[in-house]
Amino acid sequence: MSAQVSRAAIVWAIVRKDLREYSRERFFVVITVISIVIYGVAFWLMPSSVDESFAVGIHQTGMDEIFAAAMDDQGVGIELVQFESVAALEAALGMGGAEPEQPLAIGLAFPADFLQRVAAGQQTTVRVYVDANVPVELRGAMESFVREIAYALSGNPLPVADPDREVIVLGEDRVGAQVPFREKIRPLFAFLALIIETFALSSLVATEIQARTVTAVLVSPTRVSDFLAAKGLLGTGMAFAQAVLLLLIIGSFANQPFILLAAVLLGAVLVTGCGLIAGAAGKDFIETLFYGMAFMIPLMIPAIAVLFPGSAAAWVQVLPSYGLVQAVVQSSAYNAGWLEVLPHLGLALGWCVIAFAAGLVILKRRVETL
Amino acid sequence: MSEEAIRVEGVSYAYGDVKAVDDISFSVAQGEVLGFLGPNGAGKSTTIKLLTGQMRPQTGDIAILGMNVAKDRDAIQGRIGVCFEEKNLYLNLSAKENLRFFARLFGIRDFDPTPLLQRVGLADRADDRVKGYSKGMQQRLMVARCLLNNPDILFLDEPTDGLDPVSSQAIRRVIEEEAARGAAILLTTHDMDEADKLSDRVAFINDGTIAALDTPENLKLAHGQRSVRVRTRANGEIRERVVPLDASDTGDQLKAVVGAEGLLTIHTEEATLEAVFITLTGRGLQE
Repeated sequence: MSAQVSRAAIVWAIVRKDLREYSRERFFVVITVISIVIYGVAFWLMPSSVDESFAVGIHQTGMDEIFAAAMDDQGVGIELVQFESVAALEAALGMGGAEPEQPLAIGLAFPADFLQRVAAGQQTTVRVYVDANVPVELRGAMESFVREIAYALSGNPLPVADPDREVIVLGEDRVGAQVPFREKIRPLFAFLALIIETFALSSLVATEIQARTVTAVLVSPTRVSDFLAAKGLLGTGMAFAQAVLLLLIIGSFANQPFILLAAVLLGAVLVTGCGLIAGAAGKDFIETLFYGMAFMIPLMIPAIAVLFPGSAAAWVQVLPSYGLVQAVVQSSAYNAGWLEVLPHLGLALGWCVIAFAAGLVILKRRVETL
Repeated sequence: MSEEAIRVEGVSYAYGDVKAVDDISFSVAQGEVLGFLGPNGAGKSTTIKLLTGQMRPQTGDIAILGMNVAKDRDAIQGRIGVCFEEKNLYLNLSAKENLRFFARLFGIRDFDPTPLLQRVGLADRADDRVKGYSKGMQQRLMVARCLLNNPDILFLDEPTDGLDPVSSQAIRRVIEEEAARGAAILLTTHDMDEADKLSDRVAFINDGTIAALDTPENLKLAHGQRSVRVRTRANGEIRERVVPLDASDTGDQLKAVVGAEGLLTIHTEEATLEAVFITLTGRGLQE
């Protein structure tokens, strides 16, 4: 005859058993390790800063001071690279036949008598080289730059009144402190880590149903609620642990670590709910994988959308993972505090409750109708 | 045999319009083995699901160890053991790990699986993963699993189906030992010979109803036909003849046979449970 057993002891026994089974599923163990290593390496290989300047090759004689003054005045983001001859400049632009190590995209060649001709009010020609890929706005900017140099040399003022300009930067002015790609991709990696564990959970659940081991469990003093609690805890715990491990590897806890932990925990709950649904619905490995992907691809879209400039489309903003991604990006990249991310976390919490409850209800029905 | 371990009264269950169990009533006493015999789809597995609390009866009452199965599910499930027809073991775990896991679910502390594994002849493979076991070994482990809480009632669903003679024999021995210990056993099986040898009583279930319920001997006496099979040799030719023992001229027929020259063999034959089942239901067990 069995002794009285607590609900917690039963739940913990199931979790321990599942962890042992999981550790013997070579496929998921290998996938987990490989994915963490690959994501970690890929993250650190990505650029850690944003190069906000661009190089302009220049050939000129006797105008060093003028150029220095012009750069001080308006040359933010422009780095002038001097060349002794037009041939050397053209070689650096990739026009000499050989491929330069770091080809320039823009070049300016001033004629040797430029200074004298401009001062005398005579016509002269400055050659502006632009790579085919240079945006048309930048070509115009280069032409204006040459024109301003000419006016400066001639001692004449610009033929128009230079208006006062007031630049209003919306949000924090990040000139000189742009968010690098590495920071933007962090939420995507966190989601990928969560997703791997979701597939492991859904596979464990599906196997338990297909092999009818759950029936054996449920004719012991175990209740359906114990079984559901164990699977929910296991899925959330595994997904959370793996995502945190990856975030540690990619050094994510420098800014607002508690906000990041809260976001990852909510993400783990969200994907666990999806994993429970996929595990209950799938009749074999392929079907489980299919249902898992059907949930995971939409969840990844907000994390991918962060990689592109501009605001996300309205339909992206209603996806369940949008709030989580925003919370991760705002806290880790922009050092946003609790007050700023609270709306995002609140939205994510709502979706988590819905997904987790749906997962539990669907799995409960599946188990009870075996 | 003493107290009732299982009491079923007027229980019915239907899947939609299909009645799987239709107003069945029976009881099983402690220490009794009740054979539950019937073809596939007769309602045996549904009955076990109802008795083990996996499903609730739509009508009728089930009392297990004096408790209501719908209300006292937790208490009941701590005192029963169920051996399923399908091999629902954790294949990536060893036999020891399987048993230890289920022991934890029953709240058994410091459980030592070795004696149980010795009892079913698996002690030497105790640490091997179950996915490497033969069908017979897995079934023996299933039986071991349903014994780990020393249950008062055992539900055994086709425990020897398709097994090798060694595994079947091991499981039959366990059933006899458990009945001797005082456990009530509900045994569903296709194997009439097994049911005949192991069961104190048998219930014939057909189309969700119990067609007959009695001891094997009484059923055979009541519904079977006893006979004598006689082989004789005459003019170099061997002949065989069956003489019914319950006919009005049985005595005359036997005198004639025994007195004849060339008598080779004479055997009494009893009715089988299979024959009785066919007589009562009009269908065989293997259908």
